Amino acid sequence: MKASTKRLFAGAIVASLVVAACGDDDEESTPETEAPAATEAPAATEPMTSEPMTTEPMTTDGEGGGGAGGETPELASGNVFVTGSSTVEPISIRVGELANELSGGELLVTVEGPGTGDGFQKFCAGEADISDASRPIREEEAQTCADNGIEFVELEVAIDGLSVITNPNNSAIECLDVPGLYALLGPESEGFGSWSDANDLAAEVGAVQSVPFPDAPLVVFGPGEESGTYDSFVEFAIADLSEERLGEDNDFTRADYSSSPNDNLIVEGIESADTSLGWVGYAFFQAEGDRLKGIAVDAGDGCVAPTAETIADGSYPFARSLYIYVSTTAAAENPAVASYVDLYLSDEGIAKVSDAGYVQIPEDRLAATRDAWAAR
Amino acid sequence: MSLITPGAAGKTAAEVTRSQLTGGKRDTAGLVLLVLLLLCTLTTLLILGVLLQEVLVDAWPIMSERPGDFLTSTIGSDPATTGVWPGLYGSFIIGLGVLVLSVPLGVAAAIYLEDYARHDHKITQLILVNIRNLAGVPAVIYGVLGLTIFGTWLKGITGGSSVISAALTMAVLVLPVVIITSMEAIRAVPQGLREGGYGVGSSRWEVTRDHVIPYAAPGILTGVVLSIARALGEASPLIMLGAITGLLPETTLTGPFTALPMLIYNWSGRPDPVGGDIGWTNAAAAAGLTLLILVIFFNAAAIYLRNRFERTRLGV
Repeated sequence: MKASTKRLFAGAIVASLVVAACGDDDEESTPETEAPAATEAPAATEPMTSEPMTTEPMTTDGEGGGGAGGETPELASGNVFVTGSSTVEPISIRVGELANELSGGELLVTVEGPGTGDGFQKFCAGEADISDASRPIREEEAQTCADNGIEFVELEVAIDGLSVITNPNNSAIECLDVPGLYALLGPESEGFGSWSDANDLAAEVGAVQSVPFPDAPLVVFGPGEESGTYDSFVEFAIADLSEERLGEDNDFTRADYSSSPNDNLIVEGIESADTSLGWVGYAFFQAEGDRLKGIAVDAGDGCVAPTAETIADGSYPFARSLYIYVSTTAAAENPAVASYVDLYLSDEGIAKVSDAGYVQIPEDRLAATRDAWAAR
Repeated sequence: MSLITPGAAGKTAAEVTRSQLTGGKRDTAGLVLLVLLLLCTLTTLLILGVLLQEVLVDAWPIMSERPGDFLTSTIGSDPATTGVWPGLYGSFIIGLGVLVLSVPLGVAAAIYLEDYARHDHKITQLILVNIRNLAGVPAVIYGVLGLTIFGTWLKGITGGSSVISAALTMAVLVLPVVIITSMEAIRAVPQGLREGGYGVGSSRWEVTRDHVIPYAAPGILTGVVLSIARALGEASPLIMLGAITGLLPETTLTGPFTALPMLIYNWSGRPDPVGGDIGWTNAAAAAGLTLLILVIFFNAAAIYLRNRFERTRLGV
């Protein structure tokens, strides 16, 4: 019987080898990634020249690195693999679609979003050309990259910011601090129907801004859990305190609020009640500014109102930079990677940041990013 | 009823006997049971109907506007233009892999365990216990196994997190179910059939080939139908293997891959764009409908074979 068992196993191995053989045939089509011939890319050139510059003008006075301007680049053909943060993923997807469209299907970009940490793990193992990140690379991650001989360049591409909002008629609340937001919106606030219900909890977690809260109806509107804005809000306002008080895996907001994937419905909700409270992405708040009142946020350094300036200079606490990390090793070997990043940083590419619901970085920082890329 | 010759006073013999035994009372318990059973059936059908209706209604805006485009386009950032092609390709290869790998392997193992191995032997017992337990192991665990073995150790052959790794993982996942259902089917083959074969001088393999397998085929194929439906519907091993849901312009056997369940899961959670008529819910439902049709396609093949074997067995 042992012999028969062996035969079965042998069958299994043979079967898997047959499949593997089929796979090998296919692999021959994949190495075009490294094909140096791709540099010529004759077919890819015409579509761009006919493409007019539609995006908003940006001063491209050519200071610093040459060729780091905003015009749409010529695209090489080949494959690019992008991994990393699911927050940055929507931008990379849109730029990838643009690359496919402009190159006539020659520049093929694959994008996945397992998360920033997982992304760096893959990236530093040499399994990805580009890693999206919602935070700067950690020292130990950079060390892994160095150990594996992966050289990279960090490029800031967008700002993920959000605004805590209320009705413009609400004059009682001008500023809230992180403990205050936790008391009003955190997992322990479930059932609070009035702002004053949160006073005990606010005192317990050490809120100082706008306390005690007034005795007024607390109606909450915000994006649902499926939204990246929800995740960002939890990370900025809830996660630290919920982990400290309730332990891990309690990083969510109260469940009893009106959630909507549609920002317009959130705005309508905020407008419908004088003492409402909610949050939206900064880009949307900026667009709808007069219908909403942005509440200043205090994360330990005093109240900072959400404005273009405070977001840009980094003083507004509920905003963070989004990055892409490009392997210069891969970019040198594979012209497709360089082409994709060229397109990412062009005016047309960086405009996708707004399409994905994020804030474009100010011009000086965009210039710095372009210079960093040109100087790789 | 009408076929039975009526007895005295228009009653059948069975009715007369029953009324004597029950003292002429109505069979209320029987009636209640009948109604209960009917209700259960209707509830099940209702749930299925609501499910189908939900999927069809949500999928309609996409499936009526651009069915061909939806099937052949790649994944995109807009539900109005996104397509399901990489997922369809991935799921088709997974289904094919399960058919090609786990069916021959599973049936062979079942024949061996049922007809060749000595049932009282310790090792056979051990193998049987293991197979039964493996059938109950959660799919995520198979995902970990697939990631380690096919995604990492055999990376040179499978290409890492590829559709081949996924197909192999799914084949391993459904193998215990195929073996167990095949064993049941083979066990149900009348012993007399085998003995008749031996009696006219057939060898063991000839009896297995000409009598046992054809007779057991309908039962085996029922197991196959269930297995394929499961392999096509599982998402958790694919999450472990790292299926792509962002952008996947190229479908290859050894490159990055995705499958329909992953797309359905991912699309259901995406925030809808402002102002569009077609949301991600519609795209997810359309992908669900595609998966449903794919499962029906695979199952139709198995059911066709089953009916053919059944006809042969009945000598029609």
